[in-house]
Amino acid sequence: MGLTDLMSMAKPNLKSREKILAKLGGRELVNCFQCIKCTSGCTALKLLELKPHEIMKLVNLGFVDELASSDIIWTCVTCLKCLQRCPQKASPYHVMIALRNLTVEREVKVPEAFMKAVSQILETGLAEAYQKVTTRKMEACDREGLKLPKISAPKESFQAAFLKALEER
Amino acid sequence: MKVKVAVFWGCCILTSQYAYEMSVRELLPRFGVELVDLREALCCGDPVRSVNNFAANYLSIRILALANLTGLTDLLVPCNRCHFTISEAKRAVERDEKVREKIVSILKEEGLEYNSDVKIWHVIDLLHDCIGLKSVGNAVVKALKALKLASHVGCQIIRYSDLGRVDDAENPRKMDELISATGAKSIDYNEKLDCCGSHLMLSHPDTALSLAGGKVKALQSLGVDGLVVSCPDCGLMFDSKQKEAGTTVGAKLNLPVLYLTQLLGLALNIEQEKLGLQLNQSPVEQLLSKISA
Repeated sequence: MGLTDLMSMAKPNLKSREKILAKLGGRELVNCFQCIKCTSGCTALKLLELKPHEIMKLVNLGFVDELASSDIIWTCVTCLKCLQRCPQKASPYHVMIALRNLTVEREVKVPEAFMKAVSQILETGLAEAYQKVTTRKMEACDREGLKLPKISAPKESFQAAFLKALEER
Repeated sequence: MKVKVAVFWGCCILTSQYAYEMSVRELLPRFGVELVDLREALCCGDPVRSVNNFAANYLSIRILALANLTGLTDLLVPCNRCHFTISEAKRAVERDEKVREKIVSILKEEGLEYNSDVKIWHVIDLLHDCIGLKSVGNAVVKALKALKLASHVGCQIIRYSDLGRVDDAENPRKMDELISATGAKSIDYNEKLDCCGSHLMLSHPDTALSLAGGKVKALQSLGVDGLVVSCPDCGLMFDSKQKEAGTTVGAKLNLPVLYLTQLLGLALNIEQEKLGLQLNQSPVEQLLSKISA
């Protein structure tokens, strides 16, 4: 569903807006004056129609719930150009991350790969599994074959500590 | 010069981008840099940031705590994304006492301690600012004068400036200067700051590939001999996934892509095997044949 569809019947929810501001740990977001520098340089604009300035305006107006359930917040490439170029330090990037975090808290649809990475970290410490790679001549090799040192997985105590961190909001 | 630095590799390098790790391990000691691995392999927290910002900061700070165990105060982070994630976490705990206290108390349960003095380096600023262009140039035994190359610095080590980054956000030069130090020419091009798209591999893989493919396609039309990268995610997108990326932009891509540390290694006449050049999936032979002549 596109953002426009989500918006057509929407009512602003200022409590949700406060939640985002609390996550940002600052109120720079309200200083956005819609100069559109973020959108004009956005990597995801051309291919995925992400318009960061619209997101900023919608959050400011209190349409956070609609954004949190929209796929659009998962199109950010995290290239950080919006944040770099924002004259108001309102940082669309950080707003996007706050919206994603809220989506996860509310257990709305989240791209599976992110959750998979989290459980992989819990299990092994790393977000990805060790892979066998091939040379251009199609010879398979791994770390050992390449004489790369073995680096240990985190100590057992890590799992409990990480779970504790995941409970925080 | 003799320096000892702790090194944090991150997931991407340790699990698949072995060529970057091999070339870093091979190259830096030649400049008097001793690398000390951390006790454990851990994720920097980048994919966790979209799920839970606090937990991402915790992972990053845990890495700084592991670095603290080595007794060293310089930490090399050759991955752009890890470099950014750790820098962000450091800023978060320095600005927000509550966050710091919470993280410090979780670390304490494991007997770990955060040390705010640990400085974070990337390969680019370590070579450019610490070792210095002059020393790099002096070490070159095989000038790569025949090569016309393009640099791809990547997004997250140059943005955002307030965080204190490795190079200028809009006109990064350090990587080009390092390429020039080998005798090769580093060109300026319109797409220089375009992103490789790797973060989107988690949610929109086709779009991610078309971002990478579009950039390689543009570079191919400029007639460069190769693309130089210094981030494992960018390496994965432009090198390992180049063929796949080509199909998303309707082009046959065959641009040699190599790590900056591999390029410098070639200029220092380090054996290709040791630099992991057999692992690059792009046709690096094209480039190698130009410099062996």
